[in-house]
Amino acid sequence: MRIIKKLLLSSIVALGFTFFSMSANAACGKIVMADMNWASASLMAQVDKVILEKGYGCEVELIPGGTMPTFTSMNEKGVPDVAAELWANAVAVPLDKAVSEKRLHVANTAPITGLGEGWWVTPGTLKRHPELKTALDILDHPELFPYAEDPSKGAFVGCPAGWGCQLVNAQLFIAFEMEKKGWVLVDPGSAAGLDGSIAKAAEGDKNWFGYYWNPTAIIGKYDMQPVDFGVKFAGKENWDNCIVKPEQECANPKPSAWTQSVVNTVVTENFKKTGGKDAMKYMKKRVFPGPVMNAMLVYMTDNQADGADAAIEFLKTQEGVWGKWVPSKVAEKIKASL
Amino acid sequence: MDFLDTFPSMEQESLRDFKKFIDLSFRNFARAYGDTLESFFQPLLFFLVWLEKLLLSSPWPVIILVIAGLAWLGSRSWQLVVGSAVAFLLIGYFGMWKDTMATLAIITVATLVCITVGIPIGVLMARSNRTEKTVLPILDAMQTIPSFVYLIPILMLLGIGKVPGLIAVCIYAIPPIVRLTNLGIREVDKETLEASDAFGATKLQKLTQVQIPLALPTIFAGVNQTIMMALAMVVIASMIGVKGLGVPILRSISNQYLALGLMNGLAIVALAIIFDRVTQKYGQRMQKHRGQKK
Repeated sequence: MRIIKKLLLSSIVALGFTFFSMSANAACGKIVMADMNWASASLMAQVDKVILEKGYGCEVELIPGGTMPTFTSMNEKGVPDVAAELWANAVAVPLDKAVSEKRLHVANTAPITGLGEGWWVTPGTLKRHPELKTALDILDHPELFPYAEDPSKGAFVGCPAGWGCQLVNAQLFIAFEMEKKGWVLVDPGSAAGLDGSIAKAAEGDKNWFGYYWNPTAIIGKYDMQPVDFGVKFAGKENWDNCIVKPEQECANPKPSAWTQSVVNTVVTENFKKTGGKDAMKYMKKRVFPGPVMNAMLVYMTDNQADGADAAIEFLKTQEGVWGKWVPSKVAEKIKASL
Repeated sequence: MDFLDTFPSMEQESLRDFKKFIDLSFRNFARAYGDTLESFFQPLLFFLVWLEKLLLSSPWPVIILVIAGLAWLGSRSWQLVVGSAVAFLLIGYFGMWKDTMATLAIITVATLVCITVGIPIGVLMARSNRTEKTVLPILDAMQTIPSFVYLIPILMLLGIGKVPGLIAVCIYAIPPIVRLTNLGIREVDKETLEASDAFGATKLQKLTQVQIPLALPTIFAGVNQTIMMALAMVVIASMIGVKGLGVPILRSISNQYLALGLMNGLAIVALAIIFDRVTQKYGQRMQKHRGQKK
């Protein structure tokens, strides 16, 4: 009797599932999401993929891309539909325009808490030189961070060529008069170069001073320490019209702390239509707490897991986090699919 | 059936441990020997920095004169001399002088390194079939393995900068010169060698006075190919912090600056064509020389 009951029950449940997913399929169509080429964005995209596919019955395709190519394509062509972690400072003006024209929508204004860009040093640097309290203190001691190609100068590792932050670091380099103080702005060339230079310095317990951002595995793994700029944020005017512009367009930047990073989940009009209200609601609720994100990122590097592996791990172990993002019925379906 | 459907792959856990083990061993190796390696390459870095500074600090007319002079020495062709001078004038006019000089410096040093390392390897390969058999697959791997793969260990060992960039360039650019040195020496006429044997030439004499001179045109084709491939690696080298024409190209990739990318790309092409034509002409002249002697 019991067995029959179980069989019956399970078949009803199974039927219900097929019915559910069919109806969900009808509600949600094909969505293209950007699988951006850094770990946290990739993890978010993969989590979104699983949740939207298994929970809401969407058909999700991931396409790789960086910030600028992805945003340009979304803005010009409307593909991909979702950029999970768009660092909006670099594209503020065109994004505002696209949002006001209702071509793009900001689905979530803070998909990860406690993030930001800035200048960092290795933990060993602070241990050896506790007197270095702010960036201004560090800037007076270029000799602590010798540049390999010219040891009489200090190396400040900036942003890879082509990233939005490259201009910012170049302008801050001018604003803080770093050249006069004996510094060289080193272009690490690529994300791999930047990571490699941090990893090498941290592994060898050497001093390192440069640009990075949080949340990232590198910051978590090597316990990199943020540097206080020692000056206040010098106003939106200075930042938006000077610091983010090339030197030719603004030659006299004022020293400033890094602007608050605006990170958005941006979706296209098409996503709003095909995904429907439920998907939009999910996007709005989907907020990764900073420490959870950092822990996932360290998991990814420790285990050489890619975004997809990490998404499964996240969904399996952090139900307390993602369970709040979706209605319980949807959560059940996702759990069943894992 | 189950066996046929699913590939008997390594278990996920052990595969992960395996990968971690390799990574950890390499990391330990990098930690232990990174500094030693760095100081080993220090002279190379000095030379590179010195050359770049020299190119950058010399007045531009001098550089163009030197380049035109080299083109004349190599090719003895007025068209090429004028063409190179015009190309460099245009490069300077479009504001790419500094980057071009940086690229020129690294290409020059990379070519020199490749020649000094590559030709002896090629000679060894030509001498023994066993060496040839062991070296050839390594050369194949060096030419085909995606450069990003070896960038990782290079970064871990040497960090970012000119020397790791130079090594990345050389890994990709050295195979042609090794291959063609080997080929050139192997192609030298058996009869010529017999003749030199008959005159009682020692092995060294045979190598330096018969084989290498006769193989020179082929070796030179190798040098030419090595330069071309080194130029092709400029962008990749820029990804690990080498200054030069690759940097603006990377910038234009991320920002869709069509003109910037095109201009710097064409500057690389111009460099490549100048190098190619001059070295090729030089090679041809050597061949002519040989023809006359025969």
